[in-house]
Amino acid sequence: MKKRRRGAGAVFFSALLWLYALISLYPLLWMFFYSLKSNEEIFVTNPFGLPLKWQWGNYVNAWLKYDVPLYFQNSLLVGAAAVLLTVACALLFTYAVSRMRWRLRKAARTLMALGMFIPVQAIMIPVVQTVNRLGLLGTYGSLILPYAAINLSFATMVFFGFFQGIPKEMEEAACIDGASIYRAFWHVIVPLVSPATITVVIYVFLACWNEFILANVLVGGMAKLKTLPLGVLFFQGQFTTDWGSMGATMMIASLPAILVYVIFSEQVERAMTVGAAVKG
Amino acid sequence: MKRYLSNPVAIVLFIAPALTLFAVFVLSSIVQVFYFSFFDWNGVGNAVFTGLDNYAALWNASAFAVANGNGLKFALLITAYQMALASVFAIAVSNPRVPLRRFFRSAYFIPVVLSVTVVCQLWASILDADNGLLNHLLAALGSDARQNWLGKRYAAIYAVAFVNAWQWMGYQFALLVAGIKSISTELYEAAEIDGATSVKTHWYVTLPLLKETYYFCLLISVTGGIKAFTEIQIMTGGGPGTATYTLTYIMYRAAFVSHKYGYGLAAASVLVLECVAVILLLGFLFRDRERKPALERGALR
Repeated sequence: MKKRRRGAGAVFFSALLWLYALISLYPLLWMFFYSLKSNEEIFVTNPFGLPLKWQWGNYVNAWLKYDVPLYFQNSLLVGAAAVLLTVACALLFTYAVSRMRWRLRKAARTLMALGMFIPVQAIMIPVVQTVNRLGLLGTYGSLILPYAAINLSFATMVFFGFFQGIPKEMEEAACIDGASIYRAFWHVIVPLVSPATITVVIYVFLACWNEFILANVLVGGMAKLKTLPLGVLFFQGQFTTDWGSMGATMMIASLPAILVYVIFSEQVERAMTVGAAVKG
Repeated sequence: MKRYLSNPVAIVLFIAPALTLFAVFVLSSIVQVFYFSFFDWNGVGNAVFTGLDNYAALWNASAFAVANGNGLKFALLITAYQMALASVFAIAVSNPRVPLRRFFRSAYFIPVVLSVTVVCQLWASILDADNGLLNHLLAALGSDARQNWLGKRYAAIYAVAFVNAWQWMGYQFALLVAGIKSISTELYEAAEIDGATSVKTHWYVTLPLLKETYYFCLLISVTGGIKAFTEIQIMTGGGPGTATYTLTYIMYRAAFVSHKYGYGLAAASVLVLECVAVILLLGFLFRDRERKPALERGALR
């Protein structure tokens, strides 16, 4: 009796799981399909299934006519620079507040943690003002510096737990060997926290690659600096008639993130959800 | 050794880059938000102190009530959708007898790694009144329920909130899966020996032990509703009329369309205060949860 009830339950849950997999994936498949269709197929003859006539020209259009390579390059550059800056600053800062001895180290750490409570929506107006006053508007720096700044709190949180787990003897040994604190940091400590570094790199890169709110107000009006999330919206204003190329652009914008996720699923899931699992 | 680790030059060199970056872009920004919310300011010229005028104007604007209502509706929809589905699927996928578990985990998580603009544009084309997938699908099923989903005065906010819920369900799902994984299998064995049904086991063992995870899930989805912006900006532009305005959208329009910075910053201050209120309230409701406080774990991301 008990066994049969479990069997029925399992079938029910399987059905639910499959149904939601469809709800989760079919919109993406549909996007892939229509990125390879003509408008006639999308709108009239074949809205749901595989393309009847594969229109690879949509991808050529997206690539050549709609500046996708430029957006791609901007996203890559901004993402990579912001990741480097965030990781460098967060490693140095966390080292000083977790392992060095000074009076205000707890206060400094708490101050940095406050960043977790500040929604980026709320500060977008002053951020634009600051970027403008620093003369950064119209440069890559207008995105790189704010991106690094808003990710610092998270990065230091992740590193903090790791730094605390390292035994004190590490620095003692380095000190006795006559290595400076800088050498000890760079050659002993940094390699030890590389799992945390990987987590931060994945998280910050994806966050920057997909960032919209700040990019919209900082470079939204600048054709040369737009990142992919803004490039995708290129079609929005003009009552798009070219759905195929729009789909192709969205596919190109999404593929890198999807590939990274498919290859490193576990790491990406861990990096994205670590906010809830950081052990302080 | 003590001198080694309290080398003042090293300390300053280590903390200066991060603190400078953080102070210039984050701390000074949040101070400016509150400070200039008491001024009449167009963003360029002189700011004139006007006390609480911006807040009074905000309070009296009809869009403010709409925006708060929308924040609430958005929060309710995404919370209910994500927590209910994520709980069921996380428990189902954690059962080792369910085949293809890795596939389901990936299928649900993929929307999380997509850019929010891609997701919004994709759903805008699915919900499109003339050529959208949903209306095509309804027609193919012989239903005449076709709608202008994003153009309905009372329903548009739910359509927009659904898109957010759809994208982020997988996130809460992944959190819960990780939470369940950390529960000792001995507890389940004990429950089985006691003859508990699997529904009872999950009700009395799994859910109570996930309190910490649920706290975090609630925190992201409730504050996510209050902060809602991108979906509205891309899919409805606040319309029809002001029907899908949210606090952030009021702020955005005030600053970047009508150049009323002080007014926009008053809206931003209310936004921050509402988020803080939610954090305090949830912290109180979940005060007996285990482990570390929210400060440690990326609240508001």
